[in-house]
Amino acid sequence: MRIVWFLLEKEFHQLRRNRTLLLLLLAPVVQLLVLSNAANYEIRNLNLVVVDQDHSPAARRLVDKFQYTPYFRLVAVRPSVRAAEQDLLRDRADVVLVVPRHFERALVRERRADVQLLVNALNSVKAGLAGSYAASIVQAYQGEARPATVAAVLAGRGGLEVVPAYWYNPRLNYKTFMVPGLIFQIMTLIVMFLATLNIVREKEIGTIEQLNVTPIRKWQFMLGKLLPFWLAGFYQLSVGLLVARLVFQVPLVGSLPLLYAATALYLTVPLGIGLLISASSRTQQQALFVAFFFLIIFVLLSGLFTPIEYMPAWAQALDRLNPLAYIIRIARMVLLKGSTARDIAGPLGALLLLALTVNALAVWRYRKTSG
Amino acid sequence: MSGAATQLPGAVAGPVIRAEGLTKTFGAFTAVDAISFEVAAGEIFGFLGANGAGKTTAMRMLCGLLTPSGGVASVAGFDVGREPEAIKRRIGYMSQKFSLYDDLTVRENIRFYGGVYGLRTTEIRAKTEALLGRLGLAHERDALVGSLPLGWKQKLAFSVALLHDPAVVFLDEPTGGVDPITRRQFWDLLYEAAARGVTVFITTHYLDEAEYCDRVSIMVDGRMAALDTPAGLKQQFGAADMNEVFLQLARGAKNTE
Ligand SMILES: Nc1ncnc2c1ncn2[C@@H]1O[C@H](COP(=O)(O)OP(=O)(O)OP(=O)(O)O)[C@@H](O)[C@H]1O
Ligand SMILES: [Mg+2]
Repeated sequence: MRIVWFLLEKEFHQLRRNRTLLLLLLAPVVQLLVLSNAANYEIRNLNLVVVDQDHSPAARRLVDKFQYTPYFRLVAVRPSVRAAEQDLLRDRADVVLVVPRHFERALVRERRADVQLLVNALNSVKAGLAGSYAASIVQAYQGEARPATVAAVLAGRGGLEVVPAYWYNPRLNYKTFMVPGLIFQIMTLIVMFLATLNIVREKEIGTIEQLNVTPIRKWQFMLGKLLPFWLAGFYQLSVGLLVARLVFQVPLVGSLPLLYAATALYLTVPLGIGLLISASSRTQQQALFVAFFFLIIFVLLSGLFTPIEYMPAWAQALDRLNPLAYIIRIARMVLLKGSTARDIAGPLGALLLLALTVNALAVWRYRKTSG
Repeated sequence: MSGAATQLPGAVAGPVIRAEGLTKTFGAFTAVDAISFEVAAGEIFGFLGANGAGKTTAMRMLCGLLTPSGGVASVAGFDVGREPEAIKRRIGYMSQKFSLYDDLTVRENIRFYGGVYGLRTTEIRAKTEALLGRLGLAHERDALVGSLPLGWKQKLAFSVALLHDPAVVFLDEPTGGVDPITRRQFWDLLYEAAARGVTVFITTHYLDEAEYCDRVSIMVDGRMAALDTPAGLKQQFGAADMNEVFLQLARGAKNTE
């Protein structure tokens, strides 16, 4: 362990004198601020077409609810579903809200009432959002409708039939959803690139040959290279969480120690991949190219920009090997939902397997004596 | 170094380096072709040859950095192919590329390599002071190594390679590009080390330096074309100086780069 200490000391001296330190310290803040705005999927002024077959005060109030939000703009009221479908086909409507006959009566008498939502699915992201927005508005209406107009009748459960979407992000704040994922995406990019380049740079300069001729053990060398960037990962997580809390008001409901523990395990995966890549590359270009290849796949399939459930089967299968997808899932579960260690045992186990495999490969691949 | 004993730890009776039919091939190309030789303790052994002759390749095999394709070799009593890590404990090595960290200070470099070789902190501190005093670098202790002139860097790298009192030190063109005065000082350091019993294995392109060696081998196309004392070689080839010996041998080379 004493030798690892000397390696660490050296790395920190070098880092202190290197411009990459600035990148390491500032990038998480800057990128989080920029990316969270760029990756904002909030969509406003969706075109709403209403088919009101009930003509009741309850129906009108529901339509008003839609109009009071910045998300929907009422563009037409049609007499029939058929007419409204034409709007969808001609791309004049993003969402059609159909309030069926006897909506109010059902709400009062049977304690439940259905509305129908037709969503233009040309753009799947927009469609998903439009559907969710509409569902949450209907749900909010249900909450108000009960005490206001039908409180006396509705003693027990009932009301409108809606999908309970976005329980843990009730106001559909996209930053809340994106920021935990972005923190880990940025962390992975920076930490993996820097670790990979660091080792290959020693190869290019030739100092690695000098280390290979010392009695240093493989694991000592690797630990000496892993630890500085492992610590950098924690710094990035802490800064990221601070920004999330202070700038974006992301509610951090879960256990932070649990998230840090999961991160401790997670970081060994991208770092191990970095070691593996640098052990197999001769030049920085080579290493960068390979690292880039992996990172693009990790990021695109991370579930950050496209929900994993929307991906084709082969991509979902590939995601079983994607460490970023696991940790983003863990981060969202812990931070937004307050999941416990037991809840995240599945993805944690997967990360542990990946970590062991990747680092075993790296130790095996790194050679102090070449053939 | 700090009055090190002449009987070095790990020192063995008989030759310190022994190679027999040592060979390295890269695909169909033979870089080192069955070389055989012995080097005694405390000897300064010169390794000459044109660019691409195979000097670095042979040296890297002896240091345990490269696995031989054929033949056997031992350094400080350990087999090059089977016990490279045991060898690494007992040798110092200055590679052809500069081997200290440019972005660490003089003192940080010494401390790092001392630590990696398992020296105690007090030992490192004492050796650092002694080393800085001997090299006249006391005032530069906190200067980045990258800012030093090449000659100083090379003297420092040599002293660092001796920090852990190795039995053998391998030097790959340590004086390349260094001015004549500093080269002279460098050789003074070499003689001091050899006098303490350290075996010195050195490659060079300077034929005046070949004259300073106890024995010289000349490699041509991966083979060892000659091996003797400088005086013996001159006599053997009927030459006035080492330059002439070298030219006679190297003229027939094919692998020159
Ligand atoms: N890893 C390798 N793969 C393939 N060929 C190699 C490798 N290492 C060295 N060589 C080749 O082996 C030959 C000998 O190289 P080496 O570096 O040992 O020569 P050298 O005598 O040290 O030359 P110089 O004086 O230029 O340092 C050269 O032709 C070189 O291209
Ligand atoms: Mg060479």
